Amino acid sequence: MLGIIRFLTEPFAPAYMQRALVISLLLAALSGVVGVVVQLRRLSFMTDALTHSVFPGIAIAFVAGESLFVGALIAGAVAATLLTFAARSTRIDQDAFMALVLASLFSIGVIVVSRHRSYSADLTTLLFGRVLAVDTADIITTAAVAVVALGVLVAIRKELLLRAFDETGAEAMGYSLLRIDLAVNLVVALVVVAAVRAVGTALVVALLITPAATARLLCSRLQSLMMSAVGISALAAWLGLVISYDASVHHGIRLAAGATIVVVLTALFAVVAIAQALRTGMARRRTLAAVAT
Amino acid sequence: MTNALHVHDLCVTYDREVVLRDVHALLQPGDSVALIGPNGAGKSTFIKAILGLVPASSGFVEVLGTTPAKARPLVAYVPQIDHLDARFPISVQQVALMGRYRRIGWLRRPGRVDRAATLDALEQVGLADRANDSFGVLSGGQRQRVLIARAIAQDAKLLLLDEPFNGVDSVTQDVLIEVLGRLRAAGTAVVMATHDISVAHLACGHACLLNRHQVAFGRLDDALTADTLKATYGHHAVMLAEGTALLSTH
Repeated sequence: MLGIIRFLTEPFAPAYMQRALVISLLLAALSGVVGVVVQLRRLSFMTDALTHSVFPGIAIAFVAGESLFVGALIAGAVAATLLTFAARSTRIDQDAFMALVLASLFSIGVIVVSRHRSYSADLTTLLFGRVLAVDTADIITTAAVAVVALGVLVAIRKELLLRAFDETGAEAMGYSLLRIDLAVNLVVALVVVAAVRAVGTALVVALLITPAATARLLCSRLQSLMMSAVGISALAAWLGLVISYDASVHHGIRLAAGATIVVVLTALFAVVAIAQALRTGMARRRTLAAVAT
Repeated sequence: MTNALHVHDLCVTYDREVVLRDVHALLQPGDSVALIGPNGAGKSTFIKAILGLVPASSGFVEVLGTTPAKARPLVAYVPQIDHLDARFPISVQQVALMGRYRRIGWLRRPGRVDRAATLDALEQVGLADRANDSFGVLSGGQRQRVLIARAIAQDAKLLLLDEPFNGVDSVTQDVLIEVLGRLRAAGTAVVMATHDISVAHLACGHACLLNRHQVAFGRLDDALTADTLKATYGHHAVMLAEGTALLSTH
């Protein structure tokens, strides 16, 4: 028992691991809640497109020596606005347009970074973040972004719920879907911005999609969905950091911390999904047996 | 007295194709009209035009003396039940409370008055005891009743229903007819798309027969005849007795 507790707490003795834990837990709270909204609004692919669209913004900021946060913020706002208007257009094939935006903006980012000398190391940092290298300023920025994003969601939660549940009904009541969608997409963009330093633009999608998908297997009430998603995300953040630390320090195997968190998230999803499938299968067999007798 | 609904020579086009034309209608407060016609006849399009969600390419729609867009806060819309995701994580009370949202306004939380109005509306459809249940665990008929409760909570002057009797149980059918009668007595006008001629007789005083154009509009007994039904449904209509007919919707 003591061994397990030590395994789970020992990695957080160094200050950089404490900072990594704090920022990961902050992101867990933020992405857990926003992830449930993304799922209810069926915005998973939009979210993927958004994360890729933020990439050229931070690439340009990086090469120009400006703040990554500001670069991500500008790119995120522009991309969220464009994608919102595109999604409302009936003339554009949504999937094709998003795939096009996703691939082309990502390429622009790669081209920008490739002109820099330390190309591959930089690319890795921007794509996958460096959760072990975050400083106090990063934590404060992330906390501020989380407060703004969650504040917007709390402020428009009624309208958001109606729009997600009954689109025509919301329109019939006279709500502007465009305004609600824009607010949500900007919030998703903010999460991507907040997560750039810690997990990078490629992995943030997993933080937004996987915890909410796992929670959906477990519960059916909005509040419990959000709380479970945050809990699952926080658990994965903790375990991911512990595993990556333990592997590197005690076993000499280098595991990237951010990616390990994502793998743990996926493993949790798989465990829950398999358990659910087995339970449903058993219940069905029991019903069949009851019918047979 | 302001008309509840005044439609004159309405024509709606999608992608340059005319989907509905020659529609005229006049409803006073408390009137109720059944929109009757086969699938794809333009019933839902007509409802959307009344909501101002599809533009009139010619003619006009006047709702409660003003434009459809301006009248929306006073118009309640009940969608087809199978257009909503039954797995959506939401409670019965949360759905009914949505009827109060416009009154509550942006950024504000529902107050005691809103909760009381919601519970009262659920009471009227016989589902007050299910307020805390998940919307998804209810039967189709019960879900339809929750949507009616949402419309009641909205306290609208014009109620638009898209196939409210489709696939519902007999309890729900009775509750719906009773509630619609009560709302009409209180001055709410009702527009209801339906396949079911007998339901039209029970719930409506007027009929509007559509098949991409208006075949007839008027008091139910005048508008709903063997001839107009044949003109609307073609050879798929078989008249059985006075006021009843067998209709194929395809």
